[in-house]
Amino acid sequence: MANSSGAITPGAGLTAPGLEPVSRTPREWILARIDLLLRLGLVLIIVVEAIFFTLRTIPSGSLTDIGSSTFISGSNLQNVGRQMAVNGVLAVGETFVIITAGIDLSVGSLVALAGMIAAVSLANGWGIFPVVALVMGLSLLVGIINGLLVGVARIPPFIATLGMLGVLRGACYLINPQSVSLSTPDGLNFNNWVIDSVHGLPTIFLALLIIALIGGVFLRFTRRGRYIYALGSNPESARRVGINVLATLLTVYVISALLAGIGGLLLTGRLGGANPTNAVGYELDAIAPVVLGGGSLFGARGSIFGTMLGVVLVNVLSNGLDLINADPHVQQIVEGGLLIAIVWVDQWRKGRATNG
Amino acid sequence: MPILAAQNIVKRYGSVTALEGADFEIYPGEVVALIGDNGAGKSTLVKILSGAVRPDSGTITMRGEPVSFHGPRDARAKGIETVYQDLALAPDLDVASNLYLGREIKQPGLLGFLDFYNQRAMREQADRHLKDLKVNLRSIRQTVDTLSGGQRQSVAVARAVLWSKEIVIMDEPTAALGVAQSGMVLELVKRVREAGTAVVFISHNMPHVWEVADRMVVLRRGRRAGTLNPATATMDQAVSLMTGALPATEGEAISTQ
Repeated sequence: MANSSGAITPGAGLTAPGLEPVSRTPREWILARIDLLLRLGLVLIIVVEAIFFTLRTIPSGSLTDIGSSTFISGSNLQNVGRQMAVNGVLAVGETFVIITAGIDLSVGSLVALAGMIAAVSLANGWGIFPVVALVMGLSLLVGIINGLLVGVARIPPFIATLGMLGVLRGACYLINPQSVSLSTPDGLNFNNWVIDSVHGLPTIFLALLIIALIGGVFLRFTRRGRYIYALGSNPESARRVGINVLATLLTVYVISALLAGIGGLLLTGRLGGANPTNAVGYELDAIAPVVLGGGSLFGARGSIFGTMLGVVLVNVLSNGLDLINADPHVQQIVEGGLLIAIVWVDQWRKGRATNG
Repeated sequence: MPILAAQNIVKRYGSVTALEGADFEIYPGEVVALIGDNGAGKSTLVKILSGAVRPDSGTITMRGEPVSFHGPRDARAKGIETVYQDLALAPDLDVASNLYLGREIKQPGLLGFLDFYNQRAMREQADRHLKDLKVNLRSIRQTVDTLSGGQRQSVAVARAVLWSKEIVIMDEPTAALGVAQSGMVLELVKRVREAGTAVVFISHNMPHVWEVADRMVVLRRGRRAGTLNPATATMDQAVSLMTGALPATEGEAISTQ
């Protein structure tokens, strides 16, 4: 190759590995492994939580009776599984949206509306399958509208879904301002199915596992899953390589809405009825585990596995604090503080990645 | 026969005429630099050649056959890849994923039908492709945001070459790079040519143009002011042509074809 210009060292950067600084400062080492470290940190917190609550809920207070600890009793663990189901299903959906650098604030209201429609139509004598079809159809519609608002009308996701939060909550009160309980045979069947368990595993916890598994595989191993990350990383690049950006946005908002619809069905089944005040703030409860699990509000980061770790962490925490009769407000403070700490790490990571 | 040629291209934006009968051609396996002052029409011509913009009039031919591009996808389908100034890589995805972004290799059989991609095949082929081009990276699994500027540009060029063996358009590939990093990219441009791919190289940097170009097409006020041979022309001549100090019809090393 001709060394034709003195100003340029031909080939230097390509063939001499020494030219690229092999970055190995502690900070860069941490940065390169931040996802793994965060995940290990989550597992560690979960283990510490579990040990702490196990020790604190021994009725006799003596370590020799550790087997009788309320926290690790079968019925309490089933309880944790049931409690995390709706939250987990929503968090799976939120993971998809957050990876595109979006957010879906409408899921809590959609849970309430879906549950209300299910309860009212069951009360009017509908069978369970038409009810499920109706709720899923409505959720699909909400997801499509959210996707179009973000992808076509170019409304920032925060605003578009905040508006949808209000619309859906209002619709919920319009349909029925009071609570409705499941009392018809189909309604009671549904109620029983949801609160039942299979070999000790609560049905709705199994539903969460199946949903998380499908969602995780889709996101990690399929091309369309990959495009969700690509869109969150650089929308312009995604567009230029021929990825259908609108279809990808529609996909994530529809997934989030369909899962919110399922969440509404599960919640109504579990509670044996619906109330227009149900599920207020569920959207924030769903976002927290995503971010705890390594999802970034700047997009392109996050995984279903990480989200599920976040779900376990948050739900074990709230269950344990209930068991030791902690002030419910302490729980809010702990969770809020945890969330701020994690987002701080996210900011730091993002800042490092772009500056360094 | 030129692999790609544009004749008498006109493009107006409202009252502004960006191109006023511009001509351009590139033959297989050569590096043609497109140079000109700001506003000379370089970027409009590049957008037309890459299918991003449609000309008001004029013809584009590939190997003598008239073609018309209704978007970058059309141009890509005909074997024209463009490396944009801002690279358009996904910084959070790894190198292999970026090379195959939008064109992933599917798994065979049922999994492929279910849209599963074949990560191992993509990594192996990406690795081989980068080694062929002598692009050295620590790992094909590195995310793009951990690469240096020159490495990123190299990955962007490698992606374009992976998808087109015929024509790659590079819009200011060295603009944001330091000396060593630019050297890395310029060497890569030469290797791309050695592999038989034609390169349209847009740059403001005259030493870089002289280093890699086989021919230089000078644009001025939306027209081709002349074609220079870097082996015989001087930078002064190029600058004179660009600024209009030297009329388009004069000068020994100049042919207006």
